[in-house]
Amino acid sequence: MKKRNLAAYFGKKIFVFFLSVLLLSIAVFYISRLAPGDPLVSYYGDRVEKMTPEEREWAEGKLGLNDPITVQYIRWLDSAFHGDFGISYKYKMDVVEVIGSRIGNTLILGGVGFLLIFVASMLLGVLCAWHEDRLLDRVICKIGTISSCVPEFWLSLVLILIFSVTLRWLPSSGAYSIGKSGDIGDRIAHLILPLTVVVLGHLWYYAYMIRNKILEEVRADYVLLAKAKGLTKRSVMFRHCLRNVIPSYLSIMAIAVPHILGGTYVVETVFSYPGIGTLSYESARYQDYNLLMLLCLLSGILVILCNIIAQIINEQIDPRIKAQDAAETLEVGEP
Amino acid sequence: MNEQFDMVGIRPLPPEPTAKAKRWYRGKPILSLTVLAAIFLGCLFCRLLMTKDPTYMDLMNYNTAPNGEFLFGTDTMGRDIFSMIWYGGRLSLSIGVLSTLISTAIAIVFGAVSGCAPGWLDTVLMRLTEILLSVPSLLIIVLLQAILGKANVLSISFVIGITSWTSIAKVVRTEVRQLRSSEYILAARCMGGGFFHILWRHLTPNFVSSIMFMVVMNVRSAIVAESTLSFMGIGLPLEVITWGSMLSLSEKALLTGAWWIILIPGSFLVVTLLCVTDLGNYMRRNANRKQSNL
Repeated sequence: MKKRNLAAYFGKKIFVFFLSVLLLSIAVFYISRLAPGDPLVSYYGDRVEKMTPEEREWAEGKLGLNDPITVQYIRWLDSAFHGDFGISYKYKMDVVEVIGSRIGNTLILGGVGFLLIFVASMLLGVLCAWHEDRLLDRVICKIGTISSCVPEFWLSLVLILIFSVTLRWLPSSGAYSIGKSGDIGDRIAHLILPLTVVVLGHLWYYAYMIRNKILEEVRADYVLLAKAKGLTKRSVMFRHCLRNVIPSYLSIMAIAVPHILGGTYVVETVFSYPGIGTLSYESARYQDYNLLMLLCLLSGILVILCNIIAQIINEQIDPRIKAQDAAETLEVGEP
Repeated sequence: MNEQFDMVGIRPLPPEPTAKAKRWYRGKPILSLTVLAAIFLGCLFCRLLMTKDPTYMDLMNYNTAPNGEFLFGTDTMGRDIFSMIWYGGRLSLSIGVLSTLISTAIAIVFGAVSGCAPGWLDTVLMRLTEILLSVPSLLIIVLLQAILGKANVLSISFVIGITSWTSIAKVVRTEVRQLRSSEYILAARCMGGGFFHILWRHLTPNFVSSIMFMVVMNVRSAIVAESTLSFMGIGLPLEVITWGSMLSLSEKALLTGAWWIILIPGSFLVVTLLCVTDLGNYMRRNANRKQSNL
């Protein structure tokens, strides 16, 4: 009985996941086709202007651009199921290849950034909660608030100005110097500034969140009991409070994945870092439909997946969430 | 901790508030309010402050460092930065406010509809917002901007507004779900009150305090969004002066090491954002925090 319930539970989640992805793909497809701008230009370049109307029509027919939009969508969906997402109009390559050559860079930037944020925000949050309302806490809170107010692109500019232009310590753009694509040290040097911006841009938001969660936890009655039976402050904090906070922190961090990813988009563009961010920015500007579709789908799938994971974590921690939802649905008989 | 036993659970009373501590401004964000008001008034009455014409391109004095004549220097096109800041601040601030108004209005209506709707519709609506959230908003903005054509102040506020309402809508929905079965809502409905009447006269006053913080933070993120977009060259064009479009010249400024083009408008931006955040935090701050058990 229990097993069937579990299967139904995950089956429902998987169903919701696929439905969301399908809706997302329809939405992105329609929006991207509605946008004006000539995809022919990105495929043929300036030659488009010299084309005769007949040549134009032939070119559009060849790319399948003059069919009704529903037909285009179904055709796209059909080939997508066969692993064929079309060619990038701008790069004249399979979009999977174009993205494949860049996704590693973004994963490094986003992944390392995410891990750093994850660990650092927890440490910072615990540190602040430990020294609640004392000088250290207040100073960190002030600095944190200031850091969260600095727009990412401006922080990038200031860092470039200081470390690349004035001090000439670190490179200001790209993922590696020309001809040094295999050199690890060179890559790390190129990663430092973007990584700093990604981490600083998000760190305080999550650190503050965990600080407040712990402060809430510290006011619970069991802490009083633990103190009364003689546990030290440290063991109460780490063995009880932190442990209680971590599950909800995990679910928050699952939702944080897309936010951090979105943050890398801006940072990548400023640092001309060859990753998914610069690619999506370019593809949206040049109406590179196929590329844009896959990029939106990829990031959308990631977000939906993270949301579902967060939901599952939440429901596992606190079954009341589900029960409450059920109660709400039941009670809604009459509007 | 020299004593053998640690006393647990003592809740010392706070010291008697002295006359000095009781002053009206205690704990209020006076500094941020003052600075924000100063920036706001400066932008509003920029005609009185400006020393130069902000749109005039002085080709003799481009890229000049701050000096007596050009207080904050000039940019790479020879425009006076001091005048541009006040002049451009008007647009930056009004885009922030305007797009927040748009997003809040959408959020309240959407959240209330979702909160009042039967369960299945509610699920569908919330699922839809999640899908909308899942596309990076930068991409939506770029696409919408392309559909709307050449960017102007209204179109960019609109685009930012309709991409940033989801989080407020979720809060509104939760609040409405709790409020909707209250007796006074039922009574209003029995007396024939329409949806918008109930929303405006009964629901909104009850949840406005819980979304106020988010609304203020929305102003902040709208200002950030505008400046980021204009900086990347997909927002307002260079001729329309805002803090963001002023910063879009910084690529060139980096090459010449012209720090004033980057640092001065940026600092104004950051100070404004900081004041807005402080204001938001003040609204959120819990007046009666309990004593720690630790």
